Amino acid sequence: MGEDFTQQIRDKAKELLENGAVECVIGYETGSDGVSARPAFIYDAAEVDRLAFDNTCTHNLVKYLLDKKGKSTAVVVKGCDSRALNLLLSERQIQRDKVYVIGVVCPGVVEWGWNKRSEQLQKRCNWCRQHTPVVSDFAVGEPITEEPPAEFADVAEMATKTAEDRATFWRDQAERCIRCYACRQACPGCYCIDCFVELLDPEWVGIRIAPDENWMWNTIRAYHLGGRCISCNECERVCPVNIPLSLLNRKLEQEVLDLFDYKAGMSEDAPAPLITFKKDENLGIAE
Amino acid sequence: MTKILGKTGLESWLHNIMQERALVAPKHVGDLILFDPVQSVDEVVFDYENTNLSPKEFFFPRTDTLFTTKSQDNDVELIPTIIDQETVIFGIRPCDARGIAMLDGPYLDDPADSLWAQHRNKTTMIGLSCTKPAPQCFCTSVGSAPNDSSSVDIMLTEVDDGYAVEAVTEKGERLLQGVELKESDVTLSAPSCDTSVPAEGIVETVKKVFDSPYWSRLADRCIHCNVCAYVCPTCYCFDIRDRTDKGKIERIRTWESCQSKGFTRIAGGHDPRADKGSRLRQRFCHKLLYFPQQFGPLSCVGCGRCVVSCPVNIDIREIISDLQELGAKVG
Repeated sequence: MGEDFTQQIRDKAKELLENGAVECVIGYETGSDGVSARPAFIYDAAEVDRLAFDNTCTHNLVKYLLDKKGKSTAVVVKGCDSRALNLLLSERQIQRDKVYVIGVVCPGVVEWGWNKRSEQLQKRCNWCRQHTPVVSDFAVGEPITEEPPAEFADVAEMATKTAEDRATFWRDQAERCIRCYACRQACPGCYCIDCFVELLDPEWVGIRIAPDENWMWNTIRAYHLGGRCISCNECERVCPVNIPLSLLNRKLEQEVLDLFDYKAGMSEDAPAPLITFKKDENLGIAE
Repeated sequence: MTKILGKTGLESWLHNIMQERALVAPKHVGDLILFDPVQSVDEVVFDYENTNLSPKEFFFPRTDTLFTTKSQDNDVELIPTIIDQETVIFGIRPCDARGIAMLDGPYLDDPADSLWAQHRNKTTMIGLSCTKPAPQCFCTSVGSAPNDSSSVDIMLTEVDDGYAVEAVTEKGERLLQGVELKESDVTLSAPSCDTSVPAEGIVETVKKVFDSPYWSRLADRCIHCNVCAYVCPTCYCFDIRDRTDKGKIERIRTWESCQSKGFTRIAGGHDPRADKGSRLRQRFCHKLLYFPQQFGPLSCVGCGRCVVSCPVNIDIREIISDLQELGAKVG
């Protein structure tokens, strides 16, 4: 990783911009603190040296493709991010022939914040089983042999608590929520033109920034991502009040995995279980 | 001579305050430090850089009830919200206090906002000078200082044997009545704030670069959440809605932000700020152009919260520098 990856990304970006294959390359550059990465949009081959790749390149850049619909765009993706490409392709939100994928094999990203970085892997990287991108037009790095299926230790631990304790836990979390919607804005799976939370008729969730409404917001958003969440965990990273949203998303991920043997974003054409009707389907949950 | 309050003296003073008033102070909430009501002095965090969220919510709550209705004999009565609770905020930083004082401009301008006025009247702010400004801080570049006492009621500055005390307003003097203070000849040194942002002349610069493609390029990166506005001590926009519950109507207002899609959408569907670039430009033009034109100061107090909290590193300090550079080219 590091300099070698950076150089490969720059060279490819230069080539794509120079030969007019794409209008813009979305990658990473060093942020204003000089120590951590931020998303970068390069339109001019003369500016490719801004691009960089290191172990703070956390942001899931696939989200930005939704702003570039119909425009040829190259995007730098890590393994987890690449699953979002399949999600958006299967849901017909982006066109494959408009996207050039620079797929980077990622051993994991580290914990960092503005002006600080550690050498400790992020939580999401401990459960990651997708270090090598599932979609790629240009591969950076040698594929990593993936480890056994993901475990859900954190989810299992939560399940050992009583319903009352879980309710208290989530109520405390909801009390901190300020409804800034950073979770939604960072999520590649959240692209509704009108999000339910802002609809006035019917008003699914009141606008009060208060525990009941906040909890309703976080729960419904999690359900909308059931069978669709690709585990990039961007929602949790961007939350300004540190709500452990992965506990919700991973609970649903595990349920979908157990019921349907399905992981979101692994392929472009696998039918998504929650939007696929099978006449003879019997999950044993309602006779 | 400087008046000093010892550390134990401070603790018993805060304890006494709590008996008659609500005390709000920096407190550990999960892994954050937030201003929150405290029930005991043990909960108060004395040594902190800056809280994760600003204390503006004690003047401009996340959700506030403007009034409720009461129906009787075919008549509807509007019952306005009355705030009775006296509150003391301890440990407020000069930048945050300045942010609140700044909002007196829009909120107390005729016609005054009753809720804001009531919160201001009922709240006493005990400031705490910064002894070590954080790397994201830049208050000295936007007209303030780590020991700026202009917007608090009482200013405390940590010294070797306690806190130097300055009663700034009458409200502050009243709160200090009966508190035993020692005289000392200690001289207070002003800590430095190292980050320098070229904010001088920015109002004129922003006018020049209003139509620059800079904004839409910057907006490429912005994900248009409301984090910056909600952590900001000087962002004060809100949304209003009526809430009906068992025949009773409650008119509420909640935080809103110019970064939200649809913030300026009007009936008929037109949105004058439909694209990301114009929404992002609005945020910075409000802070660096419209607010100063209307009320005087830049509406940024240099607390650096947006710098730290932005998920994609939209950094107002970098933006001010970029705009000055662009403005110089435009001439």
